[in-house]
Amino acid sequence: MSDAASIRALGIDAGSTTMKMVGVDAEGALVWHALEEMDPRIEAQAERLLDVVRADGCPDSLPLIATGYGRRLITRADRKVTEITCHARGVHRELGHGGTLIDIGGQDSKVIVVSEEGKVVNFSMNDKCAAGTGRFLEVVSGRLRMPMDAFADTALAADGEVGISSTCTVFAESEMISLLAHGAPVERIVRGLHRSLVQRVSALARGAGLRPPVMLSGGVARSRAIRTLLAETLRQEIVLPRHPQLMGAYGAALLALGA
Amino acid sequence: MAPPNPPLVPRRDEVIRRHRSSGGRLAAVLPIHYSRAVFRAHRMLPVEVWGPPGIDTSPGDAHLQSYTCGIVRSSLAFVLSGGLDVADIIVVPHGCDSLQGLGSVLLDFAKPRQPVATLYVPRGPRSASVVFLAEELRALSRRLSEISGIEPTLDELRQAIAREESADRALADLLDARPHLPFADADFYRVARAREYLPAEDFEPLARAMLAERVAAKRPGIPVVLSGLVPEPMNFLGAVADAGGVIVGDDLACLGRRRYAPGRSDDPWKHLAESLLDAPPDSTRGSSTADRLAWIEKLATDSGAKAVVFYLVKFCEPELFYLPQLRQGLEERGLKSVVIETDIAESLSHQAVTRLEALLESVS
Repeated sequence: MSDAASIRALGIDAGSTTMKMVGVDAEGALVWHALEEMDPRIEAQAERLLDVVRADGCPDSLPLIATGYGRRLITRADRKVTEITCHARGVHRELGHGGTLIDIGGQDSKVIVVSEEGKVVNFSMNDKCAAGTGRFLEVVSGRLRMPMDAFADTALAADGEVGISSTCTVFAESEMISLLAHGAPVERIVRGLHRSLVQRVSALARGAGLRPPVMLSGGVARSRAIRTLLAETLRQEIVLPRHPQLMGAYGAALLALGA
Repeated sequence: MAPPNPPLVPRRDEVIRRHRSSGGRLAAVLPIHYSRAVFRAHRMLPVEVWGPPGIDTSPGDAHLQSYTCGIVRSSLAFVLSGGLDVADIIVVPHGCDSLQGLGSVLLDFAKPRQPVATLYVPRGPRSASVVFLAEELRALSRRLSEISGIEPTLDELRQAIAREESADRALADLLDARPHLPFADADFYRVARAREYLPAEDFEPLARAMLAERVAAKRPGIPVVLSGLVPEPMNFLGAVADAGGVIVGDDLACLGRRRYAPGRSDDPWKHLAESLLDAPPDSTRGSSTADRLAWIEKLATDSGAKAVVFYLVKFCEPELFYLPQLRQGLEERGLKSVVIETDIAESLSHQAVTRLEALLESVS
């Protein structure tokens, strides 16, 4: 029996940059997943992923919950649930405890205080500008022509950092160009850019009422530099689930299962 | 069973046209606290200007700094583009620094064709507040006399006060009965907010018609208290319903914080001042955090609300100042809350809806 054959519920996270689908078995274990770059035709992409999981042997007519900013477009879903509730549920199940979950996604960042029972106690969102989101890193790393992995490694290898004072992604990019023109070392600028994002997210976390341990999910959680600087700024160990990018879809699948 | 049809609410422009065609004068009044009776004693209809929402604000932008709220920004643009030309006077109560600034811009710089009057509503409870505000209302009345040619007698003023107090009671009854009124929130607010422009004698029958539909059962859904200034953009109310919520308590500056009870004094001017100053706690009148917290908690307790939605106009400093302590206090009392900031000139964002839905999911 393939893993897909044991799926009893599905979750789809239609995020701003990627679409994730997760299948869970009867016990709520994550047994199948897919992750793709986001297609503007959200519903068609969701249908395609459903075809993929069925082709893998997943039974038909399973409960399905959609989350993420494109959730409303997934008409096949039995229910639409916010990514806040889904991330909290997914991370709680994965890590087995509450705390403060920081989810840095492509379009926004969220801080979710999760109870020991896995319920959302409080949350805070940065959804007004790109600063403090994955998009910020994409823009500035693209301007420096560095792949994301190299971007993070460069930040960690720096022997110092240059402060970035702009609170806007576009102005931060301009500031970066100005610093380069004045001969500031690239490594220090890159570290400063990471610090800038971390400071914004940390302020959000403190505003929501930081409750240890700090957990991280979302695509940006893959950045070692962000994890390191976040731990340094918040003076907290950062706990990471196995699949940080899948936690929204996983939580959705768990809710669909009724787990 | 299908919900009853809400009473038909006359449109604002129809009301203005009708009033004008009968020879009546019109005052455009900005938020928030003022006495309608003073205007009515001058046979003048006060019509409130909360923006209006959804208009191009660029005509007034050059007068204002970037972080000015949408109500002030839209109001100034509306004046400059001739939207208030129908009014005989523009009255700007001192609700906040931005509104006070708007008064200055209108008086000293933009200078619309009609006269502009300001009204200083004292902040915080002080022994001199009633006397001061009573004198402000007298001064406003003198200014209105210059336009209306009427100097109301005290009896005429008392009659106007009685009409307004009767309408205020109907509004308060509506707010109290909200959990038991089987109308969609959008319909409820359409009727309740008609108080902003309808004459008292026209508003009261509408309110009473809605109250006549009261049922024993509470409306189904996740009950919430709505706090903030004004429910704009109004499609937010539809978003609450779509997310499974029902608004059962109102702490909006345009509505619930204007539950004016009758004043105590025999002197009608002091009577009016007391009525305004004794209204529910409000950020724009400098009420204490403790008073605001107690009031919102009471609204939640009385209505059975599970959460509070702070629906704020972006850059509204008086509201923002209170939020951390209010939210913490509510949390300590077991009430979750969320802050949703919007601009009345913009449409409701997806992110705002997500915040609302996440709150309702967390209490359901």
